[in-house]
Formats: sequence, structure tokens, C-alpha cells
Amino acid sequence: MSECATKSIARRRQVIDTFKQELIRRLNLPYLPEDLHEDVALLGSGLGLDSLDALEIVLCVETCFKIKIPDNSISVLRSINTVVDFVIEQQDLNGGRP
Amino acid sequence: MRTSPLRDRLAAAGAVFRERHGVEVAAHFGDVRAECGAVREAVALADFSFVRGFTLPETPGIDFLDALLAGNVPKIRFGRLLHTFLADADGRLAADCFVANNDQEFVLLAESILPDEPFDALLASAGIESPAKDLTGDHVVLILDGVKSWEIVKKLFGADVIGLPYLSIENYEFAGEPVRFIRAGKTSEFGYLLVAPVAIAAQLFDTLKAEVEARGGRLAGTDAHDALRLEGRFFNIFREGARVRDPLPLGLQWMVDFDKEKFLGSDAIKQRRLAGLKQKIIGLVAGADCTALKTGVKIFHDGQPVGEVVADCLSYVLNRPLALGLFPVELAFSGLSFHVGSADGPMAQSISMPPIMPRSLAVKLDEM
Repeated sequence: MSECATKSIARRRQVIDTFKQELIRRLNLPYLPEDLHEDVALLGSGLGLDSLDALEIVLCVETCFKIKIPDNSISVLRSINTVVDFVIEQQDLNGGRP
Repeated sequence: MRTSPLRDRLAAAGAVFRERHGVEVAAHFGDVRAECGAVREAVALADFSFVRGFTLPETPGIDFLDALLAGNVPKIRFGRLLHTFLADADGRLAADCFVANNDQEFVLLAESILPDEPFDALLASAGIESPAKDLTGDHVVLILDGVKSWEIVKKLFGADVIGLPYLSIENYEFAGEPVRFIRAGKTSEFGYLLVAPVAIAAQLFDTLKAEVEARGGRLAGTDAHDALRLEGRFFNIFREGARVRDPLPLGLQWMVDFDKEKFLGSDAIKQRRLAGLKQKIIGLVAGADCTALKTGVKIFHDGQPVGEVVADCLSYVLNRPLALGLFPVELAFSGLSFHVGSADGPMAQSISMPPIMPRSLAVKLDEM
């Protein structure tokens, strides 16, 4: 595997692990981090979280990654992977600062 | 082979039929792209009578279903649905299930990859005598999906229906007969399942079809629904489910209550969970002209085969081939490039799912 791909996976894995652990802790989800597939829907189907949980997810991201999620950000909150994409994109915009 | 009670009407409308796991389904009506487009831009009607339907009295229905299914049935609140699965004794997927708590009864709707006879045998293996009444032969299951589907159910059943949350059930009447009304689509647009007695099936079908066509919609078959599910990253038992069979690499842990002492297949599933996840599925997308991203094809990385396509479609929203691939967990990340079919085959990228933004998310039903 190329060095670039290895770095990309390592960075993504770190964001995923942090987010999953915090999500499980804050929402008291009865799962282990490895039980949560990164594409599982956060709201509605899948984990079936509600609008109050959505607020908690926003707080979770903002606290863990020091990133502001804008209002009407339903597209960001669709799955763990879409949240992670947003975090990485924002970190890159901020000059790569985690 | 079981056929739909609406077969004649579907045939008259141009349905092309196909056998799927012992049941005949309307695969398409000649234009899958238009059928997908109808759901994304208007509304489509589909016959889902291939779904096995059962009702059970609350007691002993709860215990029976809880002994069978991976999810926690006693926790289902009145008027709500649980999305879970039925596995066999080896913990291999048999059916994708909705269970509804509906006023003194429980309703089980099962998309099964087992033909009727082995499916019934699986139900009988719960260790509890089955109290289930089979609706499959004498009811039809119709589904309305699409950004405008709410307009039709509001017109037919009243304004209250649009206040129903996702995964809920309500009872209405149509032509004097009871209709179980379920909000539970799998396209990521609004979706409503109607379970109705055969006595009114033709009248209900004709009424819905006319309302759909009045809104620029059309009939849709299972081919369109398979593509729509993949675009919305809804689990599809008939595609990736039938190919992989193990719920853990498919990411279905959310359908399981791991604290539950026992359900059918629980020992095998819990053992595999304890051993650790080795593989998982991720989304793949290829260039618009790539024809190689098909189910069963191997995926290569650094010259080595590392994965396999387990579901595919042409996404009419992305206008590109879209797929799910089964990969070792260390490579199951979005943002990576792979070769399809051979070490120097066309490129595909792993992506975060779902890759589309459904129009229904922009519609606020509570303001209608």
C-alpha cells in the first residue's frame, strides 16, 4: 500500500475511533465501537436516533474536534462516515490542524 | 412458485416477471431508469406481495417473536416498528423483518430469501408453538415511495397520516375493509406500506395507480427498488444479504440486541462477534463508462485480489455504477482507490454511504 493511502487510513481511523467512542458514551448506546458500521444511518433507520440525539451528536463533534457544524446540517449527520468526511474536510480547511 | 394476487393487473401494465427465492416478482415495467426517477422526483407504486406477512396475538406473540428475532420485541412501543432480522441456527440471514406493535396484535413482515416451506419450518423452530396467522395468501402488500407519496396517503386516509413518524403503524379503512398502514420505506424518500385484504386489492391498486399517474409517477418493479436501496444504503436481503449471509460483515449489529439471552442463531452470531470482525462491506463507485463493477467481480489493490463486489446497480442520481464490496477490515475505508476485475482493471473508489441526498429530506411534512 502506498504511503499516502496508509496515512489516509490512519488519519481516518483515528477520527472514526474518537467519534464512535464518544457517540457510544454520550448516547449510552448498547454497542461496542466495532459494532457500529461507519455507513449505518444515525437518524431514522439504522441506529434510530431522534432529534434530541442529533443535537447530542452535534455537540459531540464540536467538543471532540473543535469544529462547528452549521445549522440545517442534516446531510452531515446521515452516517458516521458522512460525519467523519465533514470533520476531515474542516480540518483540512483549517490547515490540517486536528 | 408463489405469485401475487395482483399478477393479472401487473401483467396488463407491462410487468416483466422474474423468480426470486421461490416467489414471482414484478422485476420492472420496461424502464428501470424512469421507475427510479419517479421515486426521486414524484412517486411510484410497487407490489410487495412477495413479503411474507403474519399477525400474532399480543400474548403469546411477544414471546414467540422474541425467541425468533435478533431484536428486542418486548421493547417495541405501541404503534411503532422494529427493524430486525431472522437468522437460521447457524446465524446466517434468512429474512429482513419489520415487527409492529399494533393494538392487541403484532404484525411481522418478512422479506425472506428462503422459499415459503423452509421459511415456515424456521418459524416452527422457535421452540414455542407458533401463534402466527399467515396473511401471505389472502392479503397484498403495496408500497408507495417518493417525494410526493405523502400527498396520496393524505388524500386517501386523512391528514393524520403525514404526522406518523418513520417506522410506525396505524389502522385505516379502504372500501370498508381494514388496511394496516406502515410508514417504512427503504428508498430514503417517503415510503408507505399498505397491507390490505385480497377482497379490496384490485380496487386499492387501481386507485393508487391512478393517483400516482396523476402526479407524474408510475409503477416500479424490484429492479428499481434494488437500485434505490443501494443509493440510500438501505440493507437489501435479496442482494448483499443473500450473497454474504453473515449479519456482522454487513454491518447489521444495530438490528441485534446483544444483551438478549437467546434468539435463533444467537450462539453462532455472538461467537463470531467475540472472535472479532474480519471483513466488512463498503461503498464503491466507478467512472460512468465502467461496465465491470458487477456482483461477483474481484477487487484488486497493489496487484492483489482484496475484495469482491456483493451488490451493484447503476445509480441514476449519480449517473455512475455504484456497488458494495466486501473487504478485509483494514482496507474497509472510504477514500481509497482499487482496480476492478484484475490488477490493471478500471478504477473504482471507496466512498462514504449514502452517496445521495434524497429530496424528501428537504420536505417538512409537519408544515404541510
